[in-house]
Amino acid sequence: MAKLPVSVDKIIAEYGPHKAYPPQGGFYGTNEPDKLVKTHCCYCGMQCGIQLKVKDNKIAGFEPWMEFPFNEGRLCPKGVQRYMQNNHPDRLLSPIQRVEGKGFEPLGWDQAMDRTVSEIKRIQKSYGNDSFAMLSGVSLTNEKSYMIGKFARIALKTANLDYNGRLCMVSAGGGNKKAFGLDRSSNSWADLAHAEVIIVAGANISETFPTLTHYIWQARDNGAKLIVVDPRMIPLARTADVHLPIRPGGDSALFGAMLKILVDNDWLDHDFIDQYTSGFEATIEAVKDYDLDWAEEQTGISKDLILEAATLWGKAKTSFLMHARGIEHHTKGVENVLSCINLVLATGRIGKPYCGYGTITGQGNGQGGREHGHKCDQLPGNRDITNPEHRKYISEVWGINEKDMPGKGLTAYEQIEAIHRGEIKGLISICFNPLVSLPNNNYVREALEKLEFYVCMDTFLCETARYADIVLAGSLHEEEEGTVTTAEGRVVKINAAITPPNNARRDGDIIMELAARLGEGDKFSYPTSEDIFNELRVASKGGTADYYGITYKKVEENMGVFWPCPSLDHPGTPRLWEDRKFRTPDGKAHFNPVAYRPASEVTDDEFPVVMTTGRVVSQYLSGTQTRRIGKLVDQYPEPLLEVHPKLALKYGIEDHDLIRVKTRRGEAEFPAHVVETIREDTVFIPYHWGGKFSINQLTIGHLDPISKIPEFKVCACQLYKTDRKGSDKRTKTAYQSSL
Amino acid sequence: MPETNYNQEMAFFVDMQRCIGCHACEMACAECETNGQESMIHVHYVDRAVSTQTTVQVCMHCEDPTCANVCPADAIHQDDFGVVHSADTSRCIGCSNCVLACPFGVPKKKEQAELMMKCNMCYDRTSAGKKPMCATVCPSQALYYGTREEIERMRPDSVPVNSFLFGKQEVNTKVNIMMPKGTHQLIIE
Amino acid sequence: MYRLFKTLNRTAFIKALVASVVVVVLVLIGSRNLQNFDAALFAYLVGTVFAVFGIAYRYSVWLQRPPTRLYWQRSMQFLFSSMIFPYLFRSIKLFFRNIVGQRFIAYRSGTRWIGHFLMATGCMLAFAITIPLTFGWINFELKPGDDLTYFAKVFGFEAFSFSLGSPIAFITFHGLVWCSILVTIGAAIMMKRRLTNGGLIATQTFSDDWLPLILLIAISITGLGISYDYTFLEGRTYQFMAVTHAIVVILFLVWLPFGKFFHIFQRVAQLGANLYKKEGMRRGMAVCPHTKQEFATRTHIEDLKKVTEDLGFDYNRKEGINHMDLSPEGKRSALAKAHFEARKKSGKFFG
Repeated sequence: MAKLPVSVDKIIAEYGPHKAYPPQGGFYGTNEPDKLVKTHCCYCGMQCGIQLKVKDNKIAGFEPWMEFPFNEGRLCPKGVQRYMQNNHPDRLLSPIQRVEGKGFEPLGWDQAMDRTVSEIKRIQKSYGNDSFAMLSGVSLTNEKSYMIGKFARIALKTANLDYNGRLCMVSAGGGNKKAFGLDRSSNSWADLAHAEVIIVAGANISETFPTLTHYIWQARDNGAKLIVVDPRMIPLARTADVHLPIRPGGDSALFGAMLKILVDNDWLDHDFIDQYTSGFEATIEAVKDYDLDWAEEQTGISKDLILEAATLWGKAKTSFLMHARGIEHHTKGVENVLSCINLVLATGRIGKPYCGYGTITGQGNGQGGREHGHKCDQLPGNRDITNPEHRKYISEVWGINEKDMPGKGLTAYEQIEAIHRGEIKGLISICFNPLVSLPNNNYVREALEKLEFYVCMDTFLCETARYADIVLAGSLHEEEEGTVTTAEGRVVKINAAITPPNNARRDGDIIMELAARLGEGDKFSYPTSEDIFNELRVASKGGTADYYGITYKKVEENMGVFWPCPSLDHPGTPRLWEDRKFRTPDGKAHFNPVAYRPASEVTDDEFPVVMTTGRVVSQYLSGTQTRRIGKLVDQYPEPLLEVHPKLALKYGIEDHDLIRVKTRRGEAEFPAHVVETIREDTVFIPYHWGGKFSINQLTIGHLDPISKIPEFKVCACQLYKTDRKGSDKRTKTAYQSSL
Repeated sequence: MPETNYNQEMAFFVDMQRCIGCHACEMACAECETNGQESMIHVHYVDRAVSTQTTVQVCMHCEDPTCANVCPADAIHQDDFGVVHSADTSRCIGCSNCVLACPFGVPKKKEQAELMMKCNMCYDRTSAGKKPMCATVCPSQALYYGTREEIERMRPDSVPVNSFLFGKQEVNTKVNIMMPKGTHQLIIE
Repeated sequence: MYRLFKTLNRTAFIKALVASVVVVVLVLIGSRNLQNFDAALFAYLVGTVFAVFGIAYRYSVWLQRPPTRLYWQRSMQFLFSSMIFPYLFRSIKLFFRNIVGQRFIAYRSGTRWIGHFLMATGCMLAFAITIPLTFGWINFELKPGDDLTYFAKVFGFEAFSFSLGSPIAFITFHGLVWCSILVTIGAAIMMKRRLTNGGLIATQTFSDDWLPLILLIAISITGLGISYDYTFLEGRTYQFMAVTHAIVVILFLVWLPFGKFFHIFQRVAQLGANLYKKEGMRRGMAVCPHTKQEFATRTHIEDLKKVTEDLGFDYNRKEGINHMDLSPEGKRSALAKAHFEARKKSGKFFG
């Protein structure tokens, strides 16, 4: 029974979100901290270096870390405010349990563990091992990601382990594995510096990876032309050389048409294509009809702009193409990624200085977290759980019988569907807030309500945890040592600055104790995080994501090491493919034919407007942390519906009018923000809020057939103007995610 | 001023066209010890209805500061390095003359405290040889603090300009704005 | 300071001279032709007269500066208008709140207000006691024929009496002791802030920030020393105590017009600024042509245009717009737009 025990407003009153502000003059000790701890920001895949000030085992502030090579002190507003997640009044200080009619009550660790373990055993005994599922997150360190993968397979004995990376970059991972046989951004950002042309596709770098902006501006200072593909005039696009304001869902049509232009003009690297790739003929065959008229029709971009972009790309000698969720959150996310890779391979601009390609991972450890096995089909080192050899190797490392290793499980959204079908009855989650971040989230809520037992590990009572039977008070990023792998593939060190407050525990300790109580303690006895990492190194050895040569010492001395790093004397690999030895079975880079197909839901008379979603600079993902930081909340307090004045005129909408947005999944109200910086046929709403402020009530749960990523970035909606305006009350309370 | 490591080789450069409006500078400014969690920098959209253009404004530290001239309380002091300091707390009477007269729109009035506060180029940091908070964190480097040689090397298409013309009034400043090559003054007609 | 600050100012000199003469005359009258004047306090009197001269001189110079002059004139004009009673009432209220109570400092920081309030209250009380004594306006005498009853004379008139050893006597004779304690605690709080607050450490100076605190503590401690001497040491060290105290006090008086303490006299202008704003709002607000929002009073904007002109600035832009007509946000946007246009003209938005 996982319905809310009391009204949501009572839960909010006790557990927040509440906005925290620094006291006037800063926290005690900010002038004279006991120590400065070098670590990283936890709020995106850039993993900017930062120093936390510590006074009396509390975080007192921050100081820029000028020496860390990626960001040299630069930070975004989330990074500056990052220290505010600590000392927070909403922080869970002990385990709590749901009490019907009362809310949540604290309980001891022993009782919490006992009840959790007995429920796991009861459910698995009644319905089978796979009826108890686990959801994890990639804001966790490599060590925790690895340990959770092992925990679910060995201690929980379930196949159904998946993670919120499923909502992040799995399409890019799928595409990269198909094309290169390896899933990592091919280059470090340093290769941007002298790229002649940069394509940024579906990546709102200026808001979601602000510190990467510096690298792009630096390249432009060196003469780079910037091409931005985005339905909105994002800050990065405002001064870009070419802005392609694409209709959501048109990406593979655009890249297909650009490929045809490259072929027609013979802007190709034939030597590279002949020697190092396969599948070229079939790929160009797939785009042979994609002329400019057709492309204009499909993408909504004027053909002159498409031609200009293709010409810049075709004639360049060096280049860098990057993309993010904008092209990946689609039922054809993998195809969109492959159509980008086709442009890179056709020009042969990879594996050379200033010739780059890569996805920009969104989550804190979006890269490392997707490599070491807390994904339903994966084992450490980015191995495949269905591959007998891989299973055998990992079983040996783990000391288990290969037959006891569960097989491939369900992906995140499929787990929700399985709960509805009654196949999954119990759930344990960590670092994942699906009630805000999954699409069609009223359906997700109903699923949570159907669970027989739900235990959540978190530091705050996030929106999803409100439905939990037990919440285990875990640790924040700054409370546990470990490593993460940044979006450019650099393994960096997260240093513990303080210990968890009161009765909260380190996540690692919680997982180890659960494992012990489930009878597998001998396989989970790690005195330190470094011990986990050392086992991970061995487990990843020989896999595509090979960490064997990376040690804590090496990471600290070099301020990061790029994987693959197969041996202790290996310096790491900032730039992939210099050897032209791709990790596909035939050793070649693969072109993949991409025939354009429309999004899973297209506009019609009933739902004539394209709806897309995204992020704002002041919030991180589902907002569990950032919706609790006062200054970040105040910067953009509530989700607004961005609408073009021409579309607004059609509906008689004026700025600040409250608009009811309806899709086939549901409806919700948002104040209008009438701006010329969006396409005339598209509306945009950011997704960081929960409850009635959540746009994910309306998004679609259709998945990419390969990556199983949901189609967050496009669906069809209708707008209804209400006779009300946005209100102060809405603005002031949206962050709380009331229902 | 007391003992100081203020480095006069270092200068401040602003380029609003690089600004991505992220407000990192604003958050960081509040962390500057002279401000006590009050942010002094201004970031806002120029006209959000039509563009995502933002502007970012630090104190330009005028050579002959209008704010200090219009202050009835002699509360605004310019030091030997040309840094124009925040109002002297004992003198400022909170009249807002400086707020309304500054051609760059920089000073802020804290209403209840009856006090003007403004950017002092993170004097606590710059006087200790560090970079100001805003320019340190700025992810687009729309705000840059370094030497003239550095900026000229890094941004070959631009030139630092420290002269402004507001109608007929020329204002020369310590802080530079990055302008297209060949420009000597930013003219606000 | 700035442009109009000349080396010697004739008007100010005359005004200061007049003020000093008035004080001397008042001393003569108040002390009944020096009959009640305590000769031991002569050095203090000289110091005080010098301070009055200096303060009046500097105040006068200060009021001649265009922005200050304008505020002064406007304050008087607005106060003595048809609104005199509400404004007078408001000013008195604010005088108690912000000058006597210094409540506005609490919004800057709580501890800072406590420290400042203790220091200021101690100083003000001490002035209230010492100035009349120094000027001979008040003196205490034993009632003839009754060596247990004291009576206080104000301007030579008998004001009140009390018996020796009574609580009232204890409080009266130790008035300066209480002041010293308040000042010492207050100054200690302020010193602690100056030692620990990074922002203050970076911007403070010895003469403006530490010297005043040191002086106040020195005055308090030496003053307490006198009291200590006659209470516990039977006057054995009186000579030393009295001389050191006199030296620091006279230093203080001489420095009063030039240093930090001048702000005590400037602070009153805050009342004028408040009145100016209030009356300005009654007269109407200025609307920024960029933000379309009200942002200041029209009177203030018009006056500022005049003041800047008097100071030699010319912010008139084309088509009759003055740069001062824009709100601060409007000015920032104007600059950003001009920068954007300059970039656009060069053919590249980015450079």
